[in-house]
Amino acid sequence: MKKLLSIMMAIVMLCTMTAIAVAEDDDWITLRVEAYDRSIAGFNVEDCMQLRYAQENFGDPNHIKIVFVPASRWDEGTLLTQWYASDTCPDLCLTYSGDLVNQMIAEEGIWQLDDLLAEYGQDLVAFLGAESLMPFGQQNGIQWFIPARRLNVANVGNFIRADWLAALNMEKPTDIEGFTAYLYAAKDANLGGEHTVPMHLDLYEANPLYNVVRITDAFLDFTQITEEDWFAYAGYHELLPGTKEAYRWLNQLYNDGVIYENFFLDNATEQDSFLVNGYFGYFTMQPDQPWRTDKNYEIELETNVPGASWTSVNCFKNESNGKYLHDIYAANGLSIIIPKTTDEETAIAAIKYMNWMAQPENMFFLQNGIEGINYLEVTADGIPTNVQSADNVPDENKMHAGDICFISNGLYYGSDEKNALGIALGFPAQYSAEIAQSYVDAYIDAWTQTSFTVPIQASVDYGAEVQSKEAKFLTDVITCAPADFDAVYDAAVEEIIAAGADKIIEEQRGAYLDGNYRGTFPGM
Amino acid sequence: MSTRAIKSAPKKQNPFLRDWRLYLMLVLPIAFYIIFCYKPMTGIVIAFQNYNMKKGMTGSEWVGLANFEFVMSQKSFSTALGNTLLLNVMGLVAGFPVPIILAILLNEIRATGFKRVSQTILYLPHFLSWIIIGGMVLAIFSPTTGVVNSLLMKWGWIDSNIPFLTDGWNWRILYTLVGVWQSMGWGTILYLSAITGINMELFEAAKIDGANKLQQIWHVTLPGIRGTIVILLILNIGQMMNISFDKPQVLGNPKIQEFGDVLSTYVYRVAFPNGSVGNFARSTAIGLFQSVVGLILITSANFVTNRLGEEGIW
Repeated sequence: MKKLLSIMMAIVMLCTMTAIAVAEDDDWITLRVEAYDRSIAGFNVEDCMQLRYAQENFGDPNHIKIVFVPASRWDEGTLLTQWYASDTCPDLCLTYSGDLVNQMIAEEGIWQLDDLLAEYGQDLVAFLGAESLMPFGQQNGIQWFIPARRLNVANVGNFIRADWLAALNMEKPTDIEGFTAYLYAAKDANLGGEHTVPMHLDLYEANPLYNVVRITDAFLDFTQITEEDWFAYAGYHELLPGTKEAYRWLNQLYNDGVIYENFFLDNATEQDSFLVNGYFGYFTMQPDQPWRTDKNYEIELETNVPGASWTSVNCFKNESNGKYLHDIYAANGLSIIIPKTTDEETAIAAIKYMNWMAQPENMFFLQNGIEGINYLEVTADGIPTNVQSADNVPDENKMHAGDICFISNGLYYGSDEKNALGIALGFPAQYSAEIAQSYVDAYIDAWTQTSFTVPIQASVDYGAEVQSKEAKFLTDVITCAPADFDAVYDAAVEEIIAAGADKIIEEQRGAYLDGNYRGTFPGM
Repeated sequence: MSTRAIKSAPKKQNPFLRDWRLYLMLVLPIAFYIIFCYKPMTGIVIAFQNYNMKKGMTGSEWVGLANFEFVMSQKSFSTALGNTLLLNVMGLVAGFPVPIILAILLNEIRATGFKRVSQTILYLPHFLSWIIIGGMVLAIFSPTTGVVNSLLMKWGWIDSNIPFLTDGWNWRILYTLVGVWQSMGWGTILYLSAITGINMELFEAAKIDGANKLQQIWHVTLPGIRGTIVILLILNIGQMMNISFDKPQVLGNPKIQEFGDVLSTYVYRVAFPNGSVGNFARSTAIGLFQSVVGLILITSANFVTNRLGEEGIW
């Protein structure tokens, strides 16, 4: 009896498998597309509204089954490296890691896209701009990858507490001196209660000086910095003339209890809670960060501390050139590649998919969703407004504009003016003025971030070591006793150089002298 | 089992046929080792290559010992190697005797209920992830806000904070003790079962001879579990070059980098640098180096043990 049963089971299974095989065996192909997963509660990347729309409007008519392959946004480089090494890449991959793309180009592990784009990607190229964006993806005249178009290149937002300024009867500071006075006054008045720590400072391990460099750049001595040095030291501003005084200033602030004591103990969640509980008087992030719908520091702060509010400040004035330096992104966003493991038919489908995505009505849906659910109204200019935050949208309608519609980094409405308008309309209306001001500040004396169009081998060899020494540098020079500062600073700089920073800088200098660089020099 | 063996011996039955169920049970562990330990071992060839992910293991260019030379010329590598050995030795010295003592103590507890509760409480930390333990350590030992420092300050026992987490040697000691605390309960399991295996008649005989509790422990319990102790010691010595990744990563901070950077965190940085391309060949080279030294250590420890008249692993 048992035997009979198991034989029957086997037959049933065999039949099912043949049935599946038969169903797949026609002219349909599967297109696997990488999709960033940001763990938004209730949002299932593998079965989302945007995927259903793409399947219905692009997949079904073309006999292409679209599959989204989720990749954690925070580990995407590592994941893609693993996929690439094991030949299991999705057919359409995204990455922010320029080094990784450079390596794939060197190994010829990805498709050359010139012919495919010419035949199947005209709308895509038109959207990105054959002259403006496409060259970012070229090396030696070959189009290796597709650079996403970054609409909003602002990067730096500095925020202080509007209510603290009022309580202290102070104007918004406009230079380091005024900013320092604000911090000490807030500390003395204990404006955030007994836990008051006027200055937030973050040690982001992946890039330890990422935030602090925005402040220390105000101390750079541009009378001693040539354009060549600027590009050679890209990413290593702590080794440029003038920054020692910046760290001496931070060291004093730390020793006077103005900076959070445990900033280096890697506990970002704790600092995050301090931010919304009103203990901090300053922090720096993206220009729209306090008002974002996924994590709204402003609303949480207002809830916890009635009357409290963040406001943008523009106070890091460089005394040597009189500029308020703000770095901005280059015009390209993430890099889109088609790995060599994808066959030609699927590669064509991938290009067609992005070409479809570039058409205005499709992009509008993928970025904005459905009127009445994801946004409530449309302005006379055709820009969605009253955009709903994720928790106000039913799970089946949840979406992420940038991650799925990846050819555009930022919401696109057809012109620069409309795009700028769209940014402010994407937030709750009462904050529009603050956000607009923050963006104005972010573009003052802006300089474009440096990138190199050739691989910097020393950066691959020594970058991670230098990075770990930078974390130690930041911790040591800020937390040491003021009397020891000079000795600690010199030793810490020496360690960064010994870990290989000098080799990276020299190679970057060579790349600059050969003209293989992008970006701008703020200068005098 | 023994009677059965005697009975079936004259029939000269094939042992595989006789004990096929036992061999069947062996299939899974053997498959595990083949799939996860032996098959990946072919990958060590990339330690000697300029590994190109597209050309793979067979197509990449051979570079001899260049990867080893690069890694070993790095100052961070020697720091990480030294720290790995030092932290492991500290862990062994402080941590090895603790489970033995605990096991003996637990064995002496007569009240079954109390014994079970104590055992459970002792095992508990083993099941906590290092992320959680890291959070606890931060809450307890932070410079100003930590429980210990704030209490000591309140009582007026100290004038300034004790830098548990930010002073190199303090951190090493804390790292060791936290490790001992986390693993001591779990470590008692093997010893407890070894103690259970000691013939009860030996204890009775000792009692009749007038041995008190301490003498019984010294002359019966400890010799009874000596074999287990020796084998675990050899195995531990073989692990001297290995260090877990999560524990130093979670407990460490940039301030004590010189004291806390170890091979596992170093390998991770080499293989998966943030926002950059990893170098699998170099990290494989470090891994291979670790394994070879580990093999030498375990072989020597076993050799010495056999020479001293104890029973080694082989």
